[in-house]
Amino acid sequence: MSYQDLTDPKPKKAFMLCNEAVARAVLESDAKVTAFYPGSPTSEILDTLYLLSADYPDLKMEISSNEKVALETVAGASMAGVRSFTSMKSVGLNVASDTFYTLGYTGVNGGCVLLVADDPHAHSSQSEQDGRFFAPTGHVPMLEPSTPQEAYEMARYAFDLSERHKILTVIRTTTRVNHQYAPVEVGEVKRTPFQKRNWRDVKRPYFTLSETARRLKGEALEKLMKIEAEFDSSPFNKIVNGEGRIGVITSGVSYLHTMDAADALSVKPHILKLGTTHPLPKKLIVDFITKLDTVLIVEELLPYLEQSIKAIAKDADCGLKILGKESGHLGYVGEYNVAVVSKALSSVYGVNSPIDYEAVLAKAVELKSVIPKRLPVFCAGCPHRGTLWALQQAIKGTDYVLNNDIGCYSMLQLEPYNLTDMMICMGAGQGISSGMQHVVNDRVIALIGDSTLFHAGLPALVNAVHNGHNYTLFILDNSVTAMTGQQPNPGSDFGPNKVTEIDIEAVVKGIGVKNVTKIDAFDPKPNVETMKKAISQEGVNVVISVGPCALWNDRKKRAAKITIIPNKVGKETCKSIYACVRDFYCPAIQLDMETRQTAIQTDICNGCMVCAKLCPVSAISSTGGA
Amino acid sequence: MTQYNILLAGVGGQGLMLLSQVMGDACTRSSIKVVVGAQHGLAQRSGSISAHVRIGDAYSPLIAYGTADLIIAMDATEALRYVEYLKQGGTVVMNSRMMHPPLETAPIVKNRQEKLTYVTLEQVKEQLGKVAGRVIDIDAEKVAAEAGNPRTENVVLLGAASALSGFPIQSEPLKESVRRVVPERAVDANLKAFILGQQMV
Repeated sequence: MSYQDLTDPKPKKAFMLCNEAVARAVLESDAKVTAFYPGSPTSEILDTLYLLSADYPDLKMEISSNEKVALETVAGASMAGVRSFTSMKSVGLNVASDTFYTLGYTGVNGGCVLLVADDPHAHSSQSEQDGRFFAPTGHVPMLEPSTPQEAYEMARYAFDLSERHKILTVIRTTTRVNHQYAPVEVGEVKRTPFQKRNWRDVKRPYFTLSETARRLKGEALEKLMKIEAEFDSSPFNKIVNGEGRIGVITSGVSYLHTMDAADALSVKPHILKLGTTHPLPKKLIVDFITKLDTVLIVEELLPYLEQSIKAIAKDADCGLKILGKESGHLGYVGEYNVAVVSKALSSVYGVNSPIDYEAVLAKAVELKSVIPKRLPVFCAGCPHRGTLWALQQAIKGTDYVLNNDIGCYSMLQLEPYNLTDMMICMGAGQGISSGMQHVVNDRVIALIGDSTLFHAGLPALVNAVHNGHNYTLFILDNSVTAMTGQQPNPGSDFGPNKVTEIDIEAVVKGIGVKNVTKIDAFDPKPNVETMKKAISQEGVNVVISVGPCALWNDRKKRAAKITIIPNKVGKETCKSIYACVRDFYCPAIQLDMETRQTAIQTDICNGCMVCAKLCPVSAISSTGGA
Repeated sequence: MTQYNILLAGVGGQGLMLLSQVMGDACTRSSIKVVVGAQHGLAQRSGSISAHVRIGDAYSPLIAYGTADLIIAMDATEALRYVEYLKQGGTVVMNSRMMHPPLETAPIVKNRQEKLTYVTLEQVKEQLGKVAGRVIDIDAEKVAAEAGNPRTENVVLLGAASALSGFPIQSEPLKESVRRVVPERAVDANLKAFILGQQMV
């Protein structure tokens, strides 16, 4: 939607991204403190609130160093009596889970809402983790929207539910919900002034230990029983009446695929679409299943609903046939779509699909065999390209193990590098390196970005220095959290509030690393020797490669009306050596098929000059803006 | 159910998401049902991206295979990359521009004696023709330059698509949404690009 629509306090209907609708709900709910670490597919929530916080000064918005700090920030604000909100990707809640589980015991005060987004298909995540299990094990309620409108309404309701029951409330989404756009009807924004309060006025204990922990756990479970009764009549659980004695129970985006699949097959199952998925509305479910002979459970990832409904059906003793993943009708891996659900439904009904989706796919695979893959590559002008080119040269002839981390540089595992030995999760590269250096004869190398270093890398570096480990750490400092949309991180000189820029070199030296070198990412040739030296040295060595993210820096230049001047290839000087193509993979460089010389697409090149510095015959130069 | 499914395809950085914004905004303001499933992916430029625009009685944010009425592609190879979504006899409106990715260039330079070549527009059209009823290729780069802004290739293609019979959104609301969605300084060039695009069909 247009930013005008979003920030305008009047009620309206507008075309919105689900993540924007959630941000609008946070604004309308008068949440006062919000904090985030970016992560796909939730990043647009914080991007939107970042913008809105400029128009609504009573809305505090922060980008935290990691999800755990973000959750603690909003929990602290809630304990002090105001509404607060955070969102994170599935694996972000792993980082925040220590705090999350104890908050389930202590409860909260002001409405406190956490949105967690899973990523079935692992589009932009290291795993297809199923975050739904956090809710039952954390003793907190969970809501699951299917559409942007529902996400908006659930977010509004979640603040109310959380505040009434003094319980942290989870909204669980998946990528296809977060990145869905639709017309959304939103309400009025009515903000109250931000008022500081006295702790003594809101004070109650928020700590657990032995006897207190046991008592609080009991209280949390009692709250959930009350919430279950509320959920039994919640409008978020919807029954679509069908015909016959076959039904479907589903939630989230799977409900939408089911509606289309049933329509395409011309079948009419009774559909129970669950919006409150912890605690499950058992009474409602029992009422629904006792009218059926067969029910198909449609849900992505693990059989969370399926196993719960099997247990509920067993207690209800209704002789129901329950189909889903465990019966082989649906799978555990990847995301669902209309074809997947249609296949399961057609098997349950014994009907054929009017479209043979498998044949359509097989034909498409054959037709597109003529086109190349377009895998993600570093952007034109990306500082990592020069750094990684130098690293490739520096490790030639050395036995090494390379432990990578989470960021754009994760693409080191792809062509043309194929260099990664390990990549587990945010910050793991150094801890794994600590273990490996005890055992392997090889040189141990770890790689991390600036944002990931602040997020989860520093404890591991402290550990390595303290224990006298041997590895070389490359810190790729591009000034922003690039992969998720160039949000600021603690090393950035900007943010939604007045910020203090944390100096990475000073931090690393402060921890006690003796060998610290800073290099210019865009000057790759001299960096080869520097890297070789660092890799060969004993102890913890740190090389900080500095160069701003191209997307962020180009945007900054355009805003400041600085012209971006691309490069060109000299037709006379280019000898088709292809140094600028081999091991380099810049998307701005392609071939002129007539001359077989390289040619630069000037609307993509940002003139970073790295290819020019590597061309052995100096055939590449700046166009000079002509 | 009455529905019109449009698959948008392109390369990151070409302004594909703006097209889904314009269409979604126009539908919303014309009280037409719409849902869009976007593949935002990661922030890096130059990867393959897509968006599913579903107009009318549709629920899922993803078009079912073999049911798209129209593919609009900012790059010809990207139209073919999503051909499984196109229905038999459907229409393709695509940019004749082809951005050749490093993975296509690398094998050519590494096996130079074999004189390999890039995939051609003709090859792509031939393959698409095995499913599509109509393939319209437009030199959008050239038309955008005529419109006065090389970054309006996307709106050229939208203009062309809007001129197809059966396209479910009227031109006026589309133009109004272009005005609402693009930055103010680029409005005139984008509207010109839209009209020039319409004239290509």
